[in-house]
Amino acid sequence: MMTVNGMTQERVLELIAAYGAEPMGWPEDERDAARALLEAEPEAFAAALSDAEALDQALGLEAVPEPSAILAETVLAAAPDALRTRSGLIDRLSSLLFPQGIRWPAGAALASLAMGLIGGYAYASTGIGYDQADSAYYAAFGLDSGEDWVSLE
Amino acid sequence: MPIVFRVAYRMLQDRAEAEDVTQETFLRAWKHLPNWQPKAKFSTWACTVALNLCRDRLRKKKPVLMDELPERVDTALRPEEALASQQGLEGIAEKIAALPERQREALTLCALEGMSNIEAAAAMDVGVRALESLLARARRSLRASLGAQLAGD
Repeated sequence: MMTVNGMTQERVLELIAAYGAEPMGWPEDERDAARALLEAEPEAFAAALSDAEALDQALGLEAVPEPSAILAETVLAAAPDALRTRSGLIDRLSSLLFPQGIRWPAGAALASLAMGLIGGYAYASTGIGYDQADSAYYAAFGLDSGEDWVSLE
Repeated sequence: MPIVFRVAYRMLQDRAEAEDVTQETFLRAWKHLPNWQPKAKFSTWACTVALNLCRDRLRKKKPVLMDELPERVDTALRPEEALASQQGLEGIAEKIAALPERQREALTLCALEGMSNIEAAAAMDVGVRALESLLARARRSLRASLGAQLAGD
């Protein structure tokens, strides 16, 4: 069986079976070698790719309803009280909220976010596939902004 | 709409319950913010918490047979669902909902939310190989249940 950079046909078929036809969805550390083998022997994977593409397309049509409008407000409203009791956190949150140095009272900042003003701020994407709203939502709290969380469960 | 809500909705198939899980996840985040330490991304941590909350809720519900699954809350077709209907792919969400719990978790995080295999495995507290096995089984089941509806067939 042909291999490229240690990648085997069998493994490429496993990747397609688990992650679908789109190489961007494959594990990063195996992607390049798998792609190279795919390009070297396209006929070996044509059937598997065709099957996987059909399912990928079907999955792309899946939809989730929007949560109620008050969900974000409720989540945001709970934050300040929990944070205010701990010194330093409001400052950290504010600096992450306004990296350009604009300092607002945290409550006002959070209230602004709750009113939908979040869209005016640009935040770095936090990962492939996460939509911009997610990045903004988490970045608004200073989360997923390059710092990490300890597992607490 | 945060990833936490979307993951919770897909697991619970109930908007109100998914909103409850989202709120509870963020309340825990606010509570644990002082313990923020560099080990995992917030979104991974949040999904771990949300999945655990969903599992607790699912455990409390009695098992239902597939043909007893409740109707979805929103009856109005969203654009993606309308397109799915046009393409003869009705019920993709219901078929995903009918997957075993762990397969549904894996598919949600990787295929529907675009998480990397490492992040998804961490959020589910399983190894990457176990995650792959769950994904492959989920995709195989969906292919079987969608059958001739898939474009590749």
